[in-house]
Amino acid sequence: MNELQVYLFVALILFCLGLTGVLQRRSLIAMLISVELMLNAASLNFMAFNRFLTPEPAVGQIVTLFIIGTAAAEAAIGLSIILAVFRRYQSIDIERARELKG
Amino acid sequence: MLNQVILFLPELFFLFMALVLFGLTVASGEPKPRRDYHTALVLSAIGAVITLGSIGAEGHLFFKAYRLDLFSQLFKCFLGFGLFLVICISSKLDGIAERHHPEFYLFLTTSTLGMMLLVSAVELITLFVALELSSYSLYILVPMRKGSDHDSEAGIKFFFIGAMASATMLFGMSYIYGVCHTTYLAEIMTTLPQLIHTPGAVVGMVLTLCGLFFKLAVFPFHNWAPDVYEGGANQVVAFVATVSKMAGMAILIRLVALTGGDSTYLMNVLIILAIVGMTLGNLVAIKQKDFKRLLAYSSIAHAGYVLLGILSMSEIGYASVIYYALAYLILNVACFMVLVTMSEKGQNVKIDDFSGLYKRAPLLAVTLLLGVFGLAGLPPTGGFTGKFLIFIAAIEKGYLWLVIFAMVNVTISLYYYIGVVKAAYLNPPAEGSEPIRISIPLRLLNYALIIVILWLGLYPSTLFDQAKIAAEAVLAVL
Repeated sequence: MNELQVYLFVALILFCLGLTGVLQRRSLIAMLISVELMLNAASLNFMAFNRFLTPEPAVGQIVTLFIIGTAAAEAAIGLSIILAVFRRYQSIDIERARELKG
Repeated sequence: MLNQVILFLPELFFLFMALVLFGLTVASGEPKPRRDYHTALVLSAIGAVITLGSIGAEGHLFFKAYRLDLFSQLFKCFLGFGLFLVICISSKLDGIAERHHPEFYLFLTTSTLGMMLLVSAVELITLFVALELSSYSLYILVPMRKGSDHDSEAGIKFFFIGAMASATMLFGMSYIYGVCHTTYLAEIMTTLPQLIHTPGAVVGMVLTLCGLFFKLAVFPFHNWAPDVYEGGANQVVAFVATVSKMAGMAILIRLVALTGGDSTYLMNVLIILAIVGMTLGNLVAIKQKDFKRLLAYSSIAHAGYVLLGILSMSEIGYASVIYYALAYLILNVACFMVLVTMSEKGQNVKIDDFSGLYKRAPLLAVTLLLGVFGLAGLPPTGGFTGKFLIFIAAIEKGYLWLVIFAMVNVTISLYYYIGVVKAAYLNPPAEGSEPIRISIPLRLLNYALIIVILWLGLYPSTLFDQAKIAAEAVLAVL
């Protein structure tokens, strides 16, 4: 296994952990953290490809910077909606918010 | 320099509109809903006119990360008019607390701005940031409803499914970047078709499309739709159902056009998603009692029809999807206008509530009839022509069995659409229900929608020719 593959493998594991977290966890905060894990997996991929493959040295890093920025905005919005849920149900357990049938 | 400013004028104007509305949100004093409404209405009308005026614009901006062609300008025009129509039906905004009205208009505007950037973006970072701008605004709009029990729950579901979809999309983009070594779609377009048989490219493309499938509510990213439609305020849902769907269709065309059409894996994925989406949407819609939930499932089914047009991967296919996008916008606005007018305090409307609508408000009943029949795909409405063009494109590419399957689905969908019409025309009005008052502007809007629906159905050639030129612009190597 060469170095690039190691990075890609770690990113894949991070992504799968994040995905399992969002689907399995019942606490909204834990779900938010899992989404961040998925985003970080994507960042790691971009950095790895940038370092090992691409001719231009900066593009992958710029993408990562953008991901970090939007992830912060996403966390702010997510937390504010979680706060709204907490005010309504006095809990951040997703099981409480189950009145709609989906 | 000035030339570039003129090219970027529609986006700049919507940015200006967002700033004005932001000013209203921080203005102190008593809430003034009429002032907010009129400001938003006038500004969005000007915006719609500006987008119409910029249809001919062509060029590149921002180091070629941003491309203006007929395709992007046509969709910007649709988006501008979509926003205007949604604001038109917000004159009676009872679903949202009065002090939050400026924020409602503000986030509608930023979301539209994000979608306008999205349809012009030809670079992965730009595309991602634009998509997030439009989605984040929607995440905030959904839980804004006043006095509802379900708004925060719908909001949290929408947020998490959306965040998951965009993270998946980014992960897919990282593989595309790894395979093609660039973020420019023009360069990806030249390298990706040769590499499309490698696993990295296929996985990257499928994961990237996930983010857009979420926006369009394509199976398996569909289950936010019914909950958001039920939980969100009526006008917010009208926006999600019309304007946001169109942006999703536009960018899906751009991305699928990248692959050049020889990937059997990707085709098979799209075919399966189209089939499952259509069937699931139509079958579950049959048992819905709430009109908004019915529209949600019908939108899942419609996403299936749109995929059918996209996977024919031909100029005619893309042109028919563009045509269908416009027809779908108008038909949905018609349905939501009736819904908003019917719902007196901003509550949800059950299908039984339409009982005797032809006596209570004959004009609304006609609009509802045309809107619903259009969604079902009956002539002489725009919905029929749109579906017809999509099916023709698919048959030309040899997907006859898929078209037959879609036709069966259209027939199933007739059942629940006719249920709505039956309630409006055949059922007697409920005891003690009064005629619905329709103000003069609303009456004009009704006539305008009826005329446009019929025009789209009877005289498709002018617009379809434009759509064909726009589709050529997408397919041309950038």
